[in-house]
Amino acid sequence: MRRSIERHWYAYAMVAPVVVVLAVLVLYPLAQGVWFTLTDINESTIANPVLDRPATYSFVGLRNYLNVLSGDPSFGSFWSTLLRTIIWTGSCVVLTYGVGLGLALLLNRPMRARALYRVLLILPWAVPVFISAFAWKFMFNSQFGVINQVLGAFGLGQPVWLGQTDLALVAVVIVNVWVGVPFMMLALLGGLQSIPADLYEAAEVDGATPWQRFRDITLPGLRSVSSTVVLLGIIWTFNMFPVIYLVTGPAANPNTRILVTYAFERFFSGASRDYAVASTYGVLILSVLLVFAAFYRRALRRQEAFA
Amino acid sequence: MAEVAYVSASRVFAGNPPVRAVDQLELDVADGEFLVLVGPSGSGKSTALRMLAGLEDVDEGAIKIGGKDVTNVPPKGRDIAMVFQSYALYPHMTVAENMGFALKLRGTSKQEIKDKVAEAAKMLDLTKYLDRKPKALSGGQRQRVAMGRAIVREPSVFLMDEPLSNLDAKLRVETRANIAALQQRLGTTTIYVTHDQVEAMTMGDRVAVLKDGLLQQCASPRELYDRPANAFVAGFIGSPAMNLKTVPLTAEGALLDGLTVPLTRSALDKASTEGLKEVTFGVRPETLRLAGADEEGMELTVELVEELGADAYVYGSVRIGGVPERFIVRVDGRTPPAFGQNVKVAVRDTSEVHLFHPESGARLEV
Repeated sequence: MRRSIERHWYAYAMVAPVVVVLAVLVLYPLAQGVWFTLTDINESTIANPVLDRPATYSFVGLRNYLNVLSGDPSFGSFWSTLLRTIIWTGSCVVLTYGVGLGLALLLNRPMRARALYRVLLILPWAVPVFISAFAWKFMFNSQFGVINQVLGAFGLGQPVWLGQTDLALVAVVIVNVWVGVPFMMLALLGGLQSIPADLYEAAEVDGATPWQRFRDITLPGLRSVSSTVVLLGIIWTFNMFPVIYLVTGPAANPNTRILVTYAFERFFSGASRDYAVASTYGVLILSVLLVFAAFYRRALRRQEAFA
Repeated sequence: MAEVAYVSASRVFAGNPPVRAVDQLELDVADGEFLVLVGPSGSGKSTALRMLAGLEDVDEGAIKIGGKDVTNVPPKGRDIAMVFQSYALYPHMTVAENMGFALKLRGTSKQEIKDKVAEAAKMLDLTKYLDRKPKALSGGQRQRVAMGRAIVREPSVFLMDEPLSNLDAKLRVETRANIAALQQRLGTTTIYVTHDQVEAMTMGDRVAVLKDGLLQQCASPRELYDRPANAFVAGFIGSPAMNLKTVPLTAEGALLDGLTVPLTRSALDKASTEGLKEVTFGVRPETLRLAGADEEGMELTVELVEELGADAYVYGSVRIGGVPERFIVRVDGRTPPAFGQNVKVAVRDTSEVHLFHPESGARLEV
């Protein structure tokens, strides 16, 4: 050990700044967050230098976890919120992947003005999320929004999109798909372009129909790209705060409440500002994603071994 | 089993001016024949093959397989199997799945697919590798899988697009022989594309030489070698290449430096009726020999000697009309001349020289 320090001290010196930065920016907040989940910290117990008040919160063990995991509505109905989060994540990722793949397939064939289409389809990505979110919020407005005007013109009724119904969840899913498609499309287009053209020719000579070529050449060829973007999509969507908050907020809508938005609600709204419960939600979200990612990777590896 | 015919088939690529990649190709391939399409890059040989496969449109003319016009039939309806230069093996399928893919698409029963794949694998020595993925195979094994995929289908025509160009030299020679033997055994009509004239000569029943989309000559290897239809074929077929030089004509024959190669009466008559004062004179390295000091011969200054063991090729320059021209001469491998030496070179057999029109390049019959 000492020998290695003597010999490689410059290497340690070189990486030290990064280690310090990571420790300050990642490890310390993470450790502090986990610590908060074991206390009763909130607005009235946290140290307040302005009021010259010392911290008065204390260790409470696993009480926060027990409260949250009991599913009690006063602690955010954890289980039903988790279920809604899973529905939200699943429908967003499936739709984003499907639409993204469809557009990528359309863009992956020679046609006029291909570059123009590509730019237009990537545009939603370049627009800041809050702008798209507000634009959609206006479009979903039940009285003046363009969506209801079109629906009304066809006599299809004028639903209240962003009210306290499950329709609000449908609306935020639509917005999130719109925001997420460009990334999916771009990644899948890259994947499509890495499939050699002669595989399609070989399949054509072998007698494959267009559908069989898609199923037997395109999808397997996209597998590595797909597995990565689906994993990223799931993690991002699971934690997608801005779309939901900007479209259905700032007053929290219980019909679009997912785990992160509830953590935010708990942290910033209400008189109590319950930092402890908000942190508990944060740690639970992290745990759910970690467990999921572990299973996902194992499933992928098994699939690769079999296939 | 089927015969194949190109009926003045053309492929024109849009552009300015449009490129006639294959121009009015007229070619008949007999049932069971092994035909090689050969030419330099850009000669249209691969395009011609892809037209037959249905992967490339036929802009003019027609293509027939087994007497049936398939010009507008998609690839799957043509009963062909193709071996690609890159092999185009499906990376996510095992060797067995790759070979059985076409049968599976056709709805063949699992047991029958298994039997046929096993049979082809045995023929190609692939039985051990049936469960492997292509990426776990060597280049030669991949090549054999690509062959196997074609064989399993029992098509009426095999199409092969430079199937050996990704193999190393030794393996290429070995596989060349295997493919030729396999084709003879199966008796399936085969169209084989290559840029390598040695492959063309050793494998084909007949060889079609293409250049700039135009068919130059289609004949047996022997015929191509002995009676090339034009100067291009003469220079392309044979290794090292034929010596082709434009030389003046005299009343007796072709005038090289210090050497008049006597030509037949008929050749001289033909040249004079066409009003030719010069002619493109072709002589293969093995038709030349070193001459004794007292013999008539052309002065050759040795620039390079390639010793191949049994033979040696002498590269040297001869002044024709004051301009140094390179000649290649085959000599006995045990007593080659040294670099820088001046030697005399004569023609071994004047009946083996070739004469071509100096402008059109067309063969003048001797």
